[in-house]
Amino acid sequence: MGERPARLPLWARVAVPLAVLAVALVIGSGAFDAGPQTVAQRAAAIEVNVRCPSCTDLSVAQSNATTAIAVRHQIEGMVAAGRPTSAIDQVLVAEYGQTILLVPPDAGGVPLIWVVPLVLGAAALVGVGVVFWRRSRAFDALKARERVA
Amino acid sequence: MTSRRRHPVRWVAGVVLVVLVVVGVVLATRTPQQATAVASPLLGRPAPAFTGSDLSSGSRVSLASLRGRYVVINFFASWCIPCQEEAPDLSRFHYTQAHTPGGAAMVSVVFHDTTGTARAFLQSNGDLWPAISDPGGVIADHYGVTAPPTTFVVDPSGRVAAVLEGPATQKNLESFLKAAGARARATSG
Amino acid sequence: MIDAHLGTIGVWLAFGASIVGAIVLLVGQVSRRDAATPTGRVAGDGRLLAPVLLVGALLAVGAMEHALVTHDFALAFVAENNSTVTPLLYSITGMWSALAGSILLWGLVLSVVSTIFVWRYRRQAADPVIRWATLVLYVVSAFFFGLMIGPANPFVTAAGVTNGLGPNSLLQDNPLVAIHPPLLYIGFVVFTVPFAFAIGMLATGRVGDRWQIECRRWTLVAFTFLSVGIVLGAWWSYQVLGWGGFWGWDPVENAALLPWLCGTAYLHSVLVQERRGLMRVWNLSLSIATFALTILGTFLTRSGVITSVHAFSQSTIGPLLIGFFFAVVIVGFGLIAWRGDRLRSPGGIDAPLGREGAFLLNNVLFVGFAFVVLLGTVYPLLYEALTQQQVTVGAPFFNTVAVPAGLTLLFLMAVAPVLSWRKMSGTVLWQRLVIPVWIGVGTVVLCVALGLRGGATLIGFGLGAMAAATAARALVLSVRAARTRHVGWWRGLVGRANGGMIVHLGVVLLAVGVIAATSYRHQAELPLHRGTPVTFDGHRFTFEGLRTVSSPSRTAHQALVKVDGGVFAPATSSFGSALSDVGTPAIDSGLWGDVYLTFDAVGGLGAASGNQAIDNLPRGSVAIGVVVEPLVTWLWAGGLLIGLGGALALVPGSRRRATEPASAPPGLVTGAEADANHDEPTPAPEPVGALVARGVSPA
Repeated sequence: MGERPARLPLWARVAVPLAVLAVALVIGSGAFDAGPQTVAQRAAAIEVNVRCPSCTDLSVAQSNATTAIAVRHQIEGMVAAGRPTSAIDQVLVAEYGQTILLVPPDAGGVPLIWVVPLVLGAAALVGVGVVFWRRSRAFDALKARERVA
Repeated sequence: MTSRRRHPVRWVAGVVLVVLVVVGVVLATRTPQQATAVASPLLGRPAPAFTGSDLSSGSRVSLASLRGRYVVINFFASWCIPCQEEAPDLSRFHYTQAHTPGGAAMVSVVFHDTTGTARAFLQSNGDLWPAISDPGGVIADHYGVTAPPTTFVVDPSGRVAAVLEGPATQKNLESFLKAAGARARATSG
Repeated sequence: MIDAHLGTIGVWLAFGASIVGAIVLLVGQVSRRDAATPTGRVAGDGRLLAPVLLVGALLAVGAMEHALVTHDFALAFVAENNSTVTPLLYSITGMWSALAGSILLWGLVLSVVSTIFVWRYRRQAADPVIRWATLVLYVVSAFFFGLMIGPANPFVTAAGVTNGLGPNSLLQDNPLVAIHPPLLYIGFVVFTVPFAFAIGMLATGRVGDRWQIECRRWTLVAFTFLSVGIVLGAWWSYQVLGWGGFWGWDPVENAALLPWLCGTAYLHSVLVQERRGLMRVWNLSLSIATFALTILGTFLTRSGVITSVHAFSQSTIGPLLIGFFFAVVIVGFGLIAWRGDRLRSPGGIDAPLGREGAFLLNNVLFVGFAFVVLLGTVYPLLYEALTQQQVTVGAPFFNTVAVPAGLTLLFLMAVAPVLSWRKMSGTVLWQRLVIPVWIGVGTVVLCVALGLRGGATLIGFGLGAMAAATAARALVLSVRAARTRHVGWWRGLVGRANGGMIVHLGVVLLAVGVIAATSYRHQAELPLHRGTPVTFDGHRFTFEGLRTVSSPSRTAHQALVKVDGGVFAPATSSFGSALSDVGTPAIDSGLWGDVYLTFDAVGGLGAASGNQAIDNLPRGSVAIGVVVEPLVTWLWAGGLLIGLGGALALVPGSRRRATEPASAPPGLVTGAEADANHDEPTPAPEPVGALVARGVSPA
């Protein structure tokens, strides 16, 4: 076997690409390009969460149905007038009912629909962690016993 | 790992089973969606104001001018089959109301249609009551109309008393008016 | 009229055969519960009824298709879904355009699958697992054919109809209607077999390795058909629905996705059982869950409790389907609760940094994602049950979940194939991953340099590139190993592991396409005046004129639009006697993206109500909706590659016999791992594909 050139330790070899990645992502996240949010951007952000009234799944941002266009005009008018998002949502709900929003309402500030997924996700991670930890310990214990024996 | 008899699988399977059964029970007890009287958010609230010009005569029509009477507002389009189905019923309803003292007024609003075809549709149905166009779909938007035909019944004080999605029938409308009238008499008498 | 009679006879024949077969098998099981005759023909095994079932189904389908093709309006189904001007292709596909006919298609596929099952395991007909599995297949067939005798009867007669309505306009717009539903149904129905096996194994308490391998092959078939079916469905709605998108998190779309997620989890998790005998209960549960989800999906699509653009909706069939769902869930999970603990393998997962650990994470991820999608789909119904108020759960919720789940998935695809079984050192892992990591990082840097923005999007591209590199690496090594062994380089591309890597490549293509098409989609409404070009998002649009194209079945009003070089004709079409117009989009597809055109409005028709896509459009000008979506074609190519990879995975790579005991005892420390404390890197074990190609069973 020939001589090995001096190499970086493992952690450094992993850290270099990760550092490059981190820099690229920071630049790429667009945080440096963005200015303050324009009216059009704000309206677009609201429109994504409003259902096109005569469609089943589409948002008014995606659909060109006549009702969607009408709602888009309405939203853009309200955004240009400087009304907050919650007020705009309330106006739409007063016209069409709660189903006009693509996101279900909160219950007292708590987004109910997220409770179960987050609890489940946490439980899953804990469960997997416990499984690994237990098995790791059993494995080490077995190894120790075999060495002694 | 032999002595602990904890049956984790039994517990997990049991929990999954219970959850699925509960979800299944909820699903089993849902009724399929039907086009009937709908719980619109406008019920009991003041009907949004509108004005327009009649498609045939050009005269101004406004909701405010009809205050003090029951008003039936019908959103329609010429391409909509249920609108064609309900047209005879609406005509009959209009006839009886026109010949009853204190009968309801009717206004039709065009929903996503061109003036020419809407006018033709109305003329083929007798053109008996005012119909206005809705540029930009603003009136439909304020009333939360998602598809034609949708019919609103507005009481004399200007509040929405009933919302019907799907083809209206003469019987439906008359029973709504009767019920609303009875309610009004009960609260005032 | 004769078609109605023949069809009804066919349905009753199939129903009768499945009932009798189920009873015969049940009696046989109960009366000889402890007998385990390994060979020989056993009286009363019910096998002969499978061909009868098939004959009944073929008779019914033949009668229905004949009625459709000859426009026999004596059948109510034909009167509602066919007309005298309907072209031949759409007459044939009319069978699955509505509820009753779609159940008929399901029944046909089920009878074919049952017959293949009975034939394939004819030599093991006495095995109790096979007997129970056949019983389950008959019961499921009996249910579906029973539906056709009751609420979903396709052979109801109608009187005095001279011309029908024709199929729904959206269902005669595109030839994909001939391919997507059958592929989807084949995918759904084939999942019945792993379920049947699971019930058999639980009922008998025998978790034989042979049957798990067979289950895996059936699941692979189902997975391939379902994957291609779902992607084709997305392509179909992309071409037809007019909004330029391909996935709306519609309840019916979710109904197809849920069994796919569990089935994919199963396909991966069963590898752990084959190799190390672990995760047996996981695999049984996943088989049951996948089938239960196909039934739940059928319920959601057909019961009408959730509105959807796809739904068939008829109210009477709902209770029966949900009842069957209950039966499946109670029997399946009840059996697991009863027997599951006894079936657990004695071994366990040794370390997180090993392939078993990655597969466990994979299972948790897929099942968790499936659960959250299910929750989002039924949430409106649950909410309404509790509060009497209606709500909608739409794309924002699902996308918020799908993005992290998808990125984690790409990460697992990038890392897990290079992990060794049991345990591996960080050094070896890095050795194998260094090139894919640099390819991923390089991709991100390149994208940023090209001006692309968006954190999650860039991570997605990077992970996708890394996953593709990992899969390509495995394939290259496998091809090299096959060459060394002189069996032909192509052997490095077939077989379970290699086919799997090709599927991964397809998934990466698909994922990258989805990410690009949704992140960098640009949409606009362009007023076009004749002869005046307009530029949008780097493309040039010129309106050339209007044209009307008529045929007996369809009239299309087209707007001719020149996009860069070619001319496209988005239109609004009306079909035969169908009464409403549908928009027919035109698509300029290219390798790097699509330009999607819809014909939205013509000027000069008078002050239109509500249709003001563009205000005051002058007469003779048009409003054309334009959506520019990058890399959409990669989606369809990815789907194709997934199908190809699945098919290649089914090719037997080399003889692998399941002779190993059910599970390896824990704690066995082989020579290499014992030196984990030293700094010398252990020699990198070869990837699975190479070993398999060599015909060696990896330890």
